[in-house]
Amino acid sequence: MMVIAIIVGCVLGILIGFISPTIPYTVSQYLAIGIVAALDSVFGGIASNIKKNFDIKVFISGFFVNAILAILLTYLGEQLNVDIYLAAIIVFVGRMFNNLGIIRRYYLDVISEKKPFKKKDKKVEN
Amino acid sequence: MKEKNKRNTLILSITCGIIAIILVASIFVQVRTIDVSQELDIEGLREDELRTEIASFKAQYEETMAQYNDNQAKIQEYKTAMSENAETTEILDQELQQAKTLLGLTDVKGSGVVVTLTDTEEALYTYTADDLLLLINELKYAGAEAISINDNRVINLTDIAMISENLIVMNGGSTRISSPYVVKAIGDQTYLMSTLNMKNSGYIDQMEANGMKIEVEQKNNIEIKAYTGELSSNYMKEVE
Repeated sequence: MMVIAIIVGCVLGILIGFISPTIPYTVSQYLAIGIVAALDSVFGGIASNIKKNFDIKVFISGFFVNAILAILLTYLGEQLNVDIYLAAIIVFVGRMFNNLGIIRRYYLDVISEKKPFKKKDKKVEN
Repeated sequence: MKEKNKRNTLILSITCGIIAIILVASIFVQVRTIDVSQELDIEGLREDELRTEIASFKAQYEETMAQYNDNQAKIQEYKTAMSENAETTEILDQELQQAKTLLGLTDVKGSGVVVTLTDTEEALYTYTADDLLLLINELKYAGAEAISINDNRVINLTDIAMISENLIVMNGGSTRISSPYVVKAIGDQTYLMSTLNMKNSGYIDQMEANGMKIEVEQKNNIEIKAYTGELSSNYMKEVE
């Protein structure tokens, strides 16, 4: 059911993305940061799901607050003439790789029919 | 318990669906924006790129400006040269015109004298080429600037020859002249008259002593036609 919901969401998202008008170029860099933050949240959610500590509230709040914070930080950086968005990207992408690593290892374990991967000392954020 | 689980799953699914919608929609909007922006070229460039572009444009501008100035200076030079050339051409034209006039290749007019020599029965003999040559020589001596006999221009190379009695030709035998000989001369009237009128040795006196008919009158507006023959040289070459 969840898989169906996600697929339907993706299709609808594609449709909306094609129908909706393009945004001004100056705004697009904020949106880009927001997208990176949101992606980070999504991967974090998947990773936490694997670790069985998934919380929908944490996930949704992380999804929106992270994105908005990243956008605000980028805006602040623009005002201060400091490329803060670089720091945001490094953090988000770094975490994304981290979470992807967890996901990868989990599925590697599943494929090789071992016990699901568990790592206690690694903190997973979502 | 089962009911609650189902509800939870539904909420989770819907949430995930909405998240997916938002994420995918924003990604597509972003991609399309970037695509469109790339088409807009300069408007879509980042600040650094713009800076680089501006710097390169500035360099190009300066280069072009320098070239422009160079070209402008060259044009100025050419213009100066051209005006100088125009002056030279004008002077050359003037000189050419002057030379032509002096050579007798143009129609001229001015004040001078008209001498009419007519053969008569009472005269000792009819006018000869020598008489005409003498008259022309006298006129030249008196400072005549242009001379013509029966409207045939006398130029520096003009010859007057007597082929036989009553057959006088001039300008290389191409023109036959006969009495009355109207000799027009443009020049200082006073000099011309006084030279012709000299007592005893003057041309008029000489001719009249032989009983020849000669008339001289001063005219203020004599027109003398240009030399119509050809001027060519085959043997002489300029010494360098």
